[in-house]
Amino acid sequence: MAEGIDVYKRRYGQNPKSLWRDLKGTVEPFYVTLRNMFKKPVTYQYPEEKRTPYPRYRARIVLTRDPEGGERCVACYLCSAACPVDCISMQSSEDENGRRYAAWFRINFSRCIYCGLCAEACPTLAIQMTPFYEFSGRDPLKMVYEKEDLLIADGGKDNEYNFYKHAGIGVANPRGGNEDEYGPVDVRSNLP
Amino acid sequence: MPILTIDNQQIEVLKGTNVLEAAKGLGIVIPHFCYHEALGAVGACRLCAMNFVEGPVKGIQMACMIEAKDEMVITTTDQASQEMRARVIEWLMMYHPHDCPVCDEGGECQLQDMTIAGGHDIRRYGGKKRTYSNQDLGPFICHEMNRCIQCYRCVRTYQDYCGGTDFGVLGTNQRVYFGRFRDGRLESPFSGNIVDACPTGVFTDRTFRYRTRYWDIEEAPSVCPHCSLGCAVIPGGRFRELQRVRGGVNKQTNGFFICDRARFGGGYGNHPERPRVPRVDGAQTTWPEALRALRKRITDLVARHGPGAVAFLGSPRASLEANYLLDSWAASLGSRRIAFDSHWQHDRSARVAAGKLGPRAASLEDIRCSDFILMIGVDPLNEAPMLALAVRQAVRRGVRLAVIDPRPVTLPCAAAHLPLAPEALPDVLEALAGGDIRRLGRREAVLLEGILEQLRAAERPVLIGGPDLLGAAGIERLLDTARLLASEHRPCKVMTVLAGPNSFGCGVLARQGPDFEAILNGMLAGEIKALVCLESDPMTGSSDPARTGMALGKLELLAALDYLPTAAAHHAHLFLPTTAVPESAGVYVNNEGRMLLFSSAMDPGTPISVSGGGDHPPRTFLPATPGSEPRPAWATLGHLQGRRLSLRDIRQAIEMEHPNFAGLSSLTTGGEGKRIADISPPPETAPEIPFPHSEGEGTLRLYAMEDFAGSGELAGYASALAPLRPTPFVMLGALDAKQRSLSDGQQVRLRSELGGVGVALRVVPDLPAGIALVPRLRGTALESYVPGRGHYDCQILSEDEEKT
Ligand code: SF4
Ligand code: SF4
Ligand code: SF4
Ligand code: SF4
Ligand code: FES
Repeated sequence: MAEGIDVYKRRYGQNPKSLWRDLKGTVEPFYVTLRNMFKKPVTYQYPEEKRTPYPRYRARIVLTRDPEGGERCVACYLCSAACPVDCISMQSSEDENGRRYAAWFRINFSRCIYCGLCAEACPTLAIQMTPFYEFSGRDPLKMVYEKEDLLIADGGKDNEYNFYKHAGIGVANPRGGNEDEYGPVDVRSNLP
Repeated sequence: MPILTIDNQQIEVLKGTNVLEAAKGLGIVIPHFCYHEALGAVGACRLCAMNFVEGPVKGIQMACMIEAKDEMVITTTDQASQEMRARVIEWLMMYHPHDCPVCDEGGECQLQDMTIAGGHDIRRYGGKKRTYSNQDLGPFICHEMNRCIQCYRCVRTYQDYCGGTDFGVLGTNQRVYFGRFRDGRLESPFSGNIVDACPTGVFTDRTFRYRTRYWDIEEAPSVCPHCSLGCAVIPGGRFRELQRVRGGVNKQTNGFFICDRARFGGGYGNHPERPRVPRVDGAQTTWPEALRALRKRITDLVARHGPGAVAFLGSPRASLEANYLLDSWAASLGSRRIAFDSHWQHDRSARVAAGKLGPRAASLEDIRCSDFILMIGVDPLNEAPMLALAVRQAVRRGVRLAVIDPRPVTLPCAAAHLPLAPEALPDVLEALAGGDIRRLGRREAVLLEGILEQLRAAERPVLIGGPDLLGAAGIERLLDTARLLASEHRPCKVMTVLAGPNSFGCGVLARQGPDFEAILNGMLAGEIKALVCLESDPMTGSSDPARTGMALGKLELLAALDYLPTAAAHHAHLFLPTTAVPESAGVYVNNEGRMLLFSSAMDPGTPISVSGGGDHPPRTFLPATPGSEPRPAWATLGHLQGRRLSLRDIRQAIEMEHPNFAGLSSLTTGGEGKRIADISPPPETAPEIPFPHSEGEGTLRLYAMEDFAGSGELAGYASALAPLRPTPFVMLGALDAKQRSLSDGQQVRLRSELGGVGVALRVVPDLPAGIALVPRLRGTALESYVPGRGHYDCQILSEDEEKT
């Protein structure tokens, strides 16, 4: 205990500057307040007054389409794996052209923390964050969005990429018909 | 045993071990593709590079191709070998498509893992990629050749290990291709193994196409319930639905692979008509109601007619725990009328095996390591598929295989086949045991002499027999033969194929109890008023379905505990739903007496694909999971006796009561299991059981046989297996067909005591004269022909003859 008092004294007790510091500490806050009273306030009077966030703001999530209008999402489950709160669920399926797609896709927005990890994980640019932040409700079930609620008509932040034009499985173009591919090899040939 | 140094650590390994394995023993895992414990090393992928600093070989070498030798000093962490591995993986990835998001292998892909492990994280090659056209390989396997890295594991699995001939490697140079000569279903009954073996997504399970990722699937080590071998499998479920089964590892039983019946036949628990709710007199009810009703009705019946009025039927597909509790329930009521298999001949065979096999039992590993194999009255591919593969592994080493069986026993390997009518099999067994060989025909006697000679000369011979043609009497004689052939220095092991995954365990529990035939007689005589069926369906399981149907009709109470929509479950006055094998934990005792633990991979419930009608799950909040009523049979049976027991308690009780099962409660899942202790069998008071067949006069003798996908009870409810089920056919020898002027492929009329059916005729050249064969095919007109019950007198007529 005695040691503690010694330490205090050593630090503050014998310090001639301490009086000056205390005075300054009393007056300065008044000065700061006074100075700000004549500045324009930064507060928005939400909801009367709305702020436009930057495009990369992370709010309500959408599923986008490729330039050809096809659903971009291939239901690869990567977003649901990345999601720290497990609010994405889906069932993948295959259509008659061999395209992998989500038979259903559900995001429970009452659980989403808008961390953006899903969009980060998406290999097809399908799932994207939008700046639409006015997004709340009283009924948790109404915050559960299905695929038809999530899907939008365009490509969101990217209107060029089409995953199937780079994947080898031959959905957008015939097999071996993508720009970065040779046509299928002839396995029966024995030329060198 | 060589001692070598890897990364400054010393290890002593068995002679013949390769350096890659030796490193693994030290916990040093080096990326590799082509090496596989069951397939061996070929040095194809060039990835397992290590730097050999001292010893007989020097420099960067493929570790899988080099046998560990004394004085080797090896590093795996030096720059040169690390760089080599990084380059190789980069080359392997050069043409690899940008496919992971749409590839089912993603998440459990060795190529993904090894790419990261090899340090290749950015693509440098910007040029065009090679592509291939795919093939349609049928309903089970998807093909995506662009993903191939030429490790040759698939061919080595399909051709070398499994003996398939319709798939291989084609092409040269940069065009190496793994597929069939032309499109079509992969014909091997072990084709699914290439899905497990391929380290990339070239071969994926079509029945599991785009269903689930590895990280979402709920898996647990389990045991295959489709036959008596007890292969290790790993069922996986998601959204309350069993979605796939893959092979597990048990080096004593299946090794690394499984058959297609197991892999694609797991869907029985997803059957759309699976009863999931307790029922009393046809009306759905709650658990407490149903349990109360069952207890009350049984108490009433016992009070009115005595304990003998209630009979119990266990099941070789129910766990040991559930069967044991059924037994103890019967005992507590004072009823001694309990049987554990509705097919009495199978039941008796299992009891003989359980009582007498002892240390003579051969495991599949023993068969793989044997040096002479004699199969008699057993058709492995249809009765216990992995047995065929185990036999093949022995034959690949040059071991001789002799088959004595009337059926055209197809095997994935060469065999000397002696087709003898079932009636001759007892004589053969007699002759093998030193009896008179002349009772057989001359040609047969000569062949048998040869077999006997090889048998005597072999050091590790194995005899294999099945219950359908040998019956209990034949199995007993087979065991006697093995005893006579064995000496102190030369064991002669036996494998008896049994009917179900837990037949052996049931055989131990059954002791001197009655068989189902006795119970059937009791029911027909009106002495038995109630029957409690545990996961068994006497209507289709017994050897005489018609008589059983009649007997069941006389009962006052039929109670069923099951997870299948069986006939018995349908007609039961009282029905209690149980969990299917992937949803429950328990123990099976396989055909060699090995206790194998299976654990629960998922919880029961109506699949989301059903409750959502194919779309998203219903948008409602529910207090309980829909369809989650099924409970493990052991829990229900404990409850019915007013006992709150855990699995552990039950296992301890079993150990106390049956010392054979010592070690049961300390078993762990995923291991090799434990053989039950060999305790000298109880004094033999079993009734003299005749052989299942006797010579019939005049007409043709028709035998039913098992079919790979069509006969098994569980397989019958697995819709994915449908493409493997043949259309009904009858087999006839060439001579018999000629006498009747019938030809192969012709549509004929098969007439027997069970009525007439139209089937296709298959002429089998060396089928013994006087007999015909039909596969038992559930869900067809051939359903009521039960294998293992002796013959049916039959006639085979051409369609025209039938009309006149
Ligand atoms: S933003 Fe984050 S919490 Fe929300 S869905 Fe995506 S990953 Fe999940
Ligand atoms: S990560 Fe993208 S492509 Fe994959 S499931 Fe999610 S949204 Fe679809
Ligand atoms: S198909 Fe698969 S197993 Fe066969 S060589 Fe290619 S990568 Fe290997
Ligand atoms: S051999 Fe029998 S136990 Fe093994 S996987 Fe096939 S059906 Fe199952
Ligand atoms: S594992 Fe050694 S070269 Fe493939």
